[in-house]
Amino acid sequence: MLSDVSWSVILMQLFFGLALGSIFVLLASGLSIIYGLLDVVNFAHGAFAMLGAYVVFLAVSLSGSFAIGIVSAIVIVAIIGMMVEFFLLKPLYGKDPLLPLLLTFGLSVAIPDLIKIAFGLIGEPVPYPEALSGATTIGPLILSNYRLFIIFFTLAILVSLWLFLKKSDLGMIIRAATRDSLMVQVLGTNTSRIWTTGFAIGIGLAALAGAISVPMMSATPDMGVEMTMVAFVVTVVGGLGSLGGAIVGGLLIGIIVAFTSLIAGEYSSVAMYFCMAVVLLIRPRGLFGEIGRE
Amino acid sequence: MDSITKQEMLKDVEPRPRSTIVWATAVALILLPLVISTPLATEILVWSIFGLGFNLLLGYTGVLSFGHAAYFGLGAYTAGLTLRYWHVGLWTSLAMGIAAPMILACFIGLVAIRRRGVYFAMISLAFGQMLYFLALSPLKDITRGEDGLTHIPSVNLFFIALEKPRNLYYFILAITVLMLYMTWRILQSPFGRLLQAFRENEERAKACGYNTTLVKFFSLVLSACYGGLAGSLNTLYLGYVPLTTLFWLTSGTIVMMTVLGGKGTFLGPLVGVAVFLFLQNTISLFTPRWELFVGAIFVMIILLFPGGIMGTIQEKYLNRKMIRLQRKAATG
Repeated sequence: MLSDVSWSVILMQLFFGLALGSIFVLLASGLSIIYGLLDVVNFAHGAFAMLGAYVVFLAVSLSGSFAIGIVSAIVIVAIIGMMVEFFLLKPLYGKDPLLPLLLTFGLSVAIPDLIKIAFGLIGEPVPYPEALSGATTIGPLILSNYRLFIIFFTLAILVSLWLFLKKSDLGMIIRAATRDSLMVQVLGTNTSRIWTTGFAIGIGLAALAGAISVPMMSATPDMGVEMTMVAFVVTVVGGLGSLGGAIVGGLLIGIIVAFTSLIAGEYSSVAMYFCMAVVLLIRPRGLFGEIGRE
Repeated sequence: MDSITKQEMLKDVEPRPRSTIVWATAVALILLPLVISTPLATEILVWSIFGLGFNLLLGYTGVLSFGHAAYFGLGAYTAGLTLRYWHVGLWTSLAMGIAAPMILACFIGLVAIRRRGVYFAMISLAFGQMLYFLALSPLKDITRGEDGLTHIPSVNLFFIALEKPRNLYYFILAITVLMLYMTWRILQSPFGRLLQAFRENEERAKACGYNTTLVKFFSLVLSACYGGLAGSLNTLYLGYVPLTTLFWLTSGTIVMMTVLGGKGTFLGPLVGVAVFLFLQNTISLFTPRWELFVGAIFVMIILLFPGGIMGTIQEKYLNRKMIRLQRKAATG
């Protein structure tokens, strides 16, 4: 069967995998930033991504502009994230490290039901933005413009995130607080505000992932669970708390899912978990995980 | 404070259930199907067994697994498949339903149990989802996919037909009592003491020369044994195996039940299961969106009473006892 598959099909599938992987990268890097800074595994990560998708749906149906949709998704969901951190997570710092995980789990059970009450059970579709519909032909390859946009947009976001973390003052403080937040506090920075900011950035990335994936698969209340699972698998594969691991892991899992759906469609949902099991057997701390942080 | 009262207080950190509590629980469980519907009562027992095992891992060892649906579901499917295709008897199907999840736990424990708490939670969740998707699509020919496994023949215990809800309830009650007694003995054994030592301070237990990984591994396998048993009994109770037994929400439900009742307290899982199922059934009468309320209540419990119902009561009781003892020491 594999022999009929020509090179162009393989390249096409690689392209699909990269686009899918880009969304995974956004999800996992948000989870990684939050974990690195706050030591919180955000179980509600996918639920926030789902909220991002619904904000896009609302904004697009109100304003008609996809760009406004994406920006408002990031801003609104990041504000919700800040409120969650401030009111719900802050009281749990310094207690049992499993409590924040349990709390965000409770949120991930409750939030989809809130959306079900507001929007109903059926998914809400968002059309492809006009400027990005259609496809670009390169030789034998027909690449959908929207997927190209996802890949390059993710690249731009990651580069600006990298610049922000490496070059800006706030980024430097965030990196320092990730290493040793007590020391940062001793040096006179209000770490509590840094944590809220870091949480908002992570949630913003999740909302962005949800927002740009809406045109490909309409917004549904239960889409969040799958996204949380993906984010978990990618971070376990890449190494928890490592941004580089999130990028490599995300692209790897995206490509693996794309190729399994080509070769053995019914195994496509199982493939990423299988990949995770293999990585755990060969390299228990993940591809880029630091020793001691696992 | 003199040394005698100190000793007395230390002995009381994990209070023995008083005989009144034991007998009250026993009477309540025997009369339960007369008060509420028998299916609901049976459900409470099945989840209680599941919760006892889960509490052993979360409450007493301090390991959070978010993939316990894997053991519950695998037990349910194994019992159902052996009954349907191989036409085995009651005990064989139960034994298989317990053995298969224990083997799975050995594998998951081998790859994941060394990892830090949150990491293990994520990995176990992912393995649970893997099983769910395997049963959903690639193994559809055996598991019947989304429809669930139906046409499971009913079984007899010697000459008693377990098809009748009341008979089944008292059969499961006997098993529950057995499991309660076994759990109590495990907790009193040196192994059980070791588990609690790890939960309190893993570094110190390690420094004392104990192999923490190995003991955690056994705790996981033991917990999977309870999960498998509960899953198999669930198959007997429902007469079919729904795909949702493997779904992540099943793992989430047992987490919520255990934390609600009080992790690390002996009767916590029983109380948690009863309260959770009562809440779920009552809220579903008014709205199909019960998850919103249950999730919100769970968030509140985490924020305000992280010890759960029994944990909070136990703490209150201990505080009062402390004050009484201190007063006695001051006056006497």
